[in-house]
Amino acid sequence: MQQTAPTSFWQRLQQIPRYYIYLLLAGVVVWQLIFPIQLPILPSAATQGVHDAIRAVPDDKIIIITTDWDASTQAETGPQTQAVIHACFQARKRFAIMNLQPPMGVKLAHDLAEEAAQDYDVSYGVDWCNWGYKYGYENVLMALGKDIPTTIGDDFYGNPVTDLPMMQGVEDIEDVGLVVEVTGLSGMTEMWIGLIQGPYRTPFASAYTAVMAPLYYPYLDSGQMQGMLVGAKGAAEMEVLTDKPGRATRIMNVQSWAHVLIILLIIVGNLGYLMARGRAGERAP
Amino acid sequence: MNPEIYVLWAAAIATLGVYTILYRENPISRLFEHIFVGLSAGYLLVATWALNLEGKWWTPMVAERRWYWIFAPVVGGLFYFIYSRRLGWLARLVMGLFFGTAAGTLFREFFPIYAPQIYACFKPLRADAQIGWFDVAVHHWVFVVILITVLSYFFFSVPHEGRFGRHLGRSALLGRWFLMIAFGAMFGNTVMARISLFIGRVEFLLTDWIGHYFP
Repeated sequence: MQQTAPTSFWQRLQQIPRYYIYLLLAGVVVWQLIFPIQLPILPSAATQGVHDAIRAVPDDKIIIITTDWDASTQAETGPQTQAVIHACFQARKRFAIMNLQPPMGVKLAHDLAEEAAQDYDVSYGVDWCNWGYKYGYENVLMALGKDIPTTIGDDFYGNPVTDLPMMQGVEDIEDVGLVVEVTGLSGMTEMWIGLIQGPYRTPFASAYTAVMAPLYYPYLDSGQMQGMLVGAKGAAEMEVLTDKPGRATRIMNVQSWAHVLIILLIIVGNLGYLMARGRAGERAP
Repeated sequence: MNPEIYVLWAAAIATLGVYTILYRENPISRLFEHIFVGLSAGYLLVATWALNLEGKWWTPMVAERRWYWIFAPVVGGLFYFIYSRRLGWLARLVMGLFFGTAAGTLFREFFPIYAPQIYACFKPLRADAQIGWFDVAVHHWVFVVILITVLSYFFFSVPHEGRFGRHLGRSALLGRWFLMIAFGAMFGNTVMARISLFIGRVEFLLTDWIGHYFP
């Protein structure tokens, strides 16, 4: 639709060129990254649920962290994955990274785990491992429920998972104490809940991009999920709980200020609309 | 020079290149978009081979002499008969097999996904020793009222006329308002997600790229 040229101040407020809005947003982001004014981050019940679920895993069971994300959502899912990994290391829980789609996620998560591992006395194969990218969606999950070593086969490095010390005694899904799904793709959670959490009663927690999160609140309410991390906000809250402030805390602080700007712009736009309409009403015969 | 520097510069140039779209549609942005899609597709191909097919199909067939694995690509190859008018039935054969498997799997998934959510809709509406009045008033009543009004919005079998119809119409109107509020919350989350991605890239440019030279 072609816009008419604004004639009054109030009409101009409704048609601020988008370049100015981009510049303003970029300005706020750069300002807060360089000179941050830290706002408090309070963990929500959903985030606390993820943290508690990790700590509640029995010592003889492992955690599966499934990282179904790639570079396009890395700003949210990357810090979420790292915060979950920190929580696992702090609670001394063994975990395996895996991925159903897209395959890049497993490499990105591997790098994050290696980075986090430097802060703890842990080693690959004993405290954590990477099962790699497994193609086959539902078929992988159905097989995983019955026989983990045969389904997974080789790890990220191409070695048989049965050779890893932490995999000794891990036979089927009964040896898994929690699945944490970190994803930017809708549809993956339904598979995990439909084929693993539901039939086997394996505890399940998740971390989503903020776009996806509203779709999955019913799963939290019904108790199918133990907890949920929502976007960078969830990651920042998890960083608070693990006492490892990092990228998400920085991003979330900047984000809060960016939200303030957007709210102001919405108010300005609506004020312009109301005032312009009021003026038009006054002029009407 | 440290090879990491090349990676850093490549990532910075790609980020700035993609963001040129903010000015207008242009070949630079398109170029980097295509590079991203191509890289992802290439990575998918390599990962599918190295992390799946090689270990689960090629090695058993060639090194362990399980010759029957040769039939796997033959069955997969039947999909391509869709392009043949005479032998198209071969493609339909294998598609039917896949449709059947997918339908069976979805049927199996359906109840574990949705049944607990249906049970969760039945919430106590009176406070007792386990549930305080605040939880009941704020969570349960709000939930039930919204559930009923939104469901009534999607109940199209009765016209909004007459005594019952008018009540249904009012309930549906309220349901529509609740839906609008939910869509607003979802849109807010979308804005939050998009800004997070933008902040992630600006943080990379400032901290990793420029910060490398001006720590």
